[in-house]
Amino acid sequence: MLFNSFEFVYFFVAFFILYWFVTNKDLKLQNLLLLVAGYIFYAWSDWRFLSYLIGISALNYFLGIYIEKTLNPKHKQWLLYVGLVQGIGGLAFFKYFNFFITSFKDAFHLIGINLNTLTLNIALPLGISFFTFRTISYVLDVHNEKIKATKNWVVFFTYVSFFPSILSGPIDRAKNLIPQLENKRELDYHKGIDGFFLIIWGLFKKLVIADNCGVITNVVFKNYLELPSSTLILNSFLYTIQLYADFSGYSDMAIGISRLMGFSISKNFDFPFFAQNIAEFWRKWHISLTNWLTDYVFTPLSIAFRDYGSWGLTAAIIFNFTIIGIWHGANWTYVLFGFLHGCYFIPLILTGNLNKKKKLAKDELLPSFREFFNMLGTFTLFMISLIIFRSESISNAIEYLNRIFSPSILSIPKFRGEENTTAIISLFFIAIFFIVEWKYRFNDFVFNGISKRGLSIQIVNILFIVLALYFFSGSMKSYIYFNF
Amino acid sequence: MKIEDILKQVNDIFIDTLDNDQVIITEATTANDVEEWDSLTHIQLVVAIEKHFKIRFTSKEIQSWNNVGEMLTCIQEKGV
Repeated sequence: MLFNSFEFVYFFVAFFILYWFVTNKDLKLQNLLLLVAGYIFYAWSDWRFLSYLIGISALNYFLGIYIEKTLNPKHKQWLLYVGLVQGIGGLAFFKYFNFFITSFKDAFHLIGINLNTLTLNIALPLGISFFTFRTISYVLDVHNEKIKATKNWVVFFTYVSFFPSILSGPIDRAKNLIPQLENKRELDYHKGIDGFFLIIWGLFKKLVIADNCGVITNVVFKNYLELPSSTLILNSFLYTIQLYADFSGYSDMAIGISRLMGFSISKNFDFPFFAQNIAEFWRKWHISLTNWLTDYVFTPLSIAFRDYGSWGLTAAIIFNFTIIGIWHGANWTYVLFGFLHGCYFIPLILTGNLNKKKKLAKDELLPSFREFFNMLGTFTLFMISLIIFRSESISNAIEYLNRIFSPSILSIPKFRGEENTTAIISLFFIAIFFIVEWKYRFNDFVFNGISKRGLSIQIVNILFIVLALYFFSGSMKSYIYFNF
Repeated sequence: MKIEDILKQVNDIFIDTLDNDQVIITEATTANDVEEWDSLTHIQLVVAIEKHFKIRFTSKEIQSWNNVGEMLTCIQEKGV
């Protein structure tokens, strides 16, 4: 069920009434409703894996309780391994099985041995990367005594299947979400209105910006061999915006919907295109994933490598980013994408600039020349990496990059037929989108605090967004991050 | 050494490593309270503290601290 579908609107209105007006007196009943709604929401998209979701919830629920109960450290460790093997094994099987087999086969082929191995036709359970990361962090945190295991199964099962964020994140930790599930939620007027604005802003980003850009990028990435360099550059720019608008639009909607239910879930983006170097960029991009990996991959690694100075740090960073790349799926393009981002950190580490946080000047209408130049540089590095990310294979990505560095770089970007109009519409709304983001750059979210401003301002903003949605929505597409 | 004395020395290490002479830490301080203290600088702080006091933490110890106070106790327990 997509957030931007009428099914979801009916589903959510019915849920909202039952949640706040029927079950609100009884927390257990309200949580049970949340759980059932989560399963309906999930099964609507893909019922085949509902039993998997319930099964891993049950397993990790009991693991949490027994890890906490057991006094023997060895037994504790073994129980933790069961959780890790299930989580990582599940991901490896559903996401990477065929990738491992074919890579293995290709490696043998290179040395002249042809293997006849089977590949399986495996369907990917929607949201598996997101809910698996929730269960893994849960057993780890219980094991490391960072949190207490919850004894309430409804709470735990709801934590794993929390519907606003099950398909595409943010990846909330137990520490944040479970206490909110255990305590009574209140419907706060300001929180609700801000949440509503976040939802429509997310819709605008998804339907008006991402889906219009998508019309162009889908065509250009297929036909890049026939197009001039300038078109390819513009296309890469549009894809960078598309990915951000698509993914952060979904996150905004997930956060907004959670607010309407009285929850505060993690932030996933913090205006990443205003970052002034790549380290800052990754503090602002897909925050819930990078925080997760920082805690469970980067920190243990950097501790282990700490005797090797800058090189140890570099190795930990490159490893961490390669994992971020692979997290997206089974393709060498993602591996290279992650590895490249790890390498982007090397100049910062070697020049000792890793610690220096560059803050944007407050109360300035525009960025300074230096700030702007830094932002543009960071954006360009990210844009180049996304060419690899989006290409079907590494050789396609190299071809695409090769074509960029050709004399046609000086021509005027041109698409075919109607795509020219779509490009102009996209660029127009991208300009507005940047202005709005810039205005709210020091806030947690766009439209923060709008509930406290005058009604006329609220109506003007709603009207603008609704009109843009009505007249300029692109053709409906699924979300890019549903595939990861 | 008394906890207060360790705190003073650790504060100096923070100032040096984070390159910010405005940093003042107390036992209750956490990484959220100090702007420059993040996952990247954390490891540099640990290394600097180990060098200064000539001690060695285990990976488990480093990951168990929830605030500066717990880190100071850990340093003290190492016989500093």
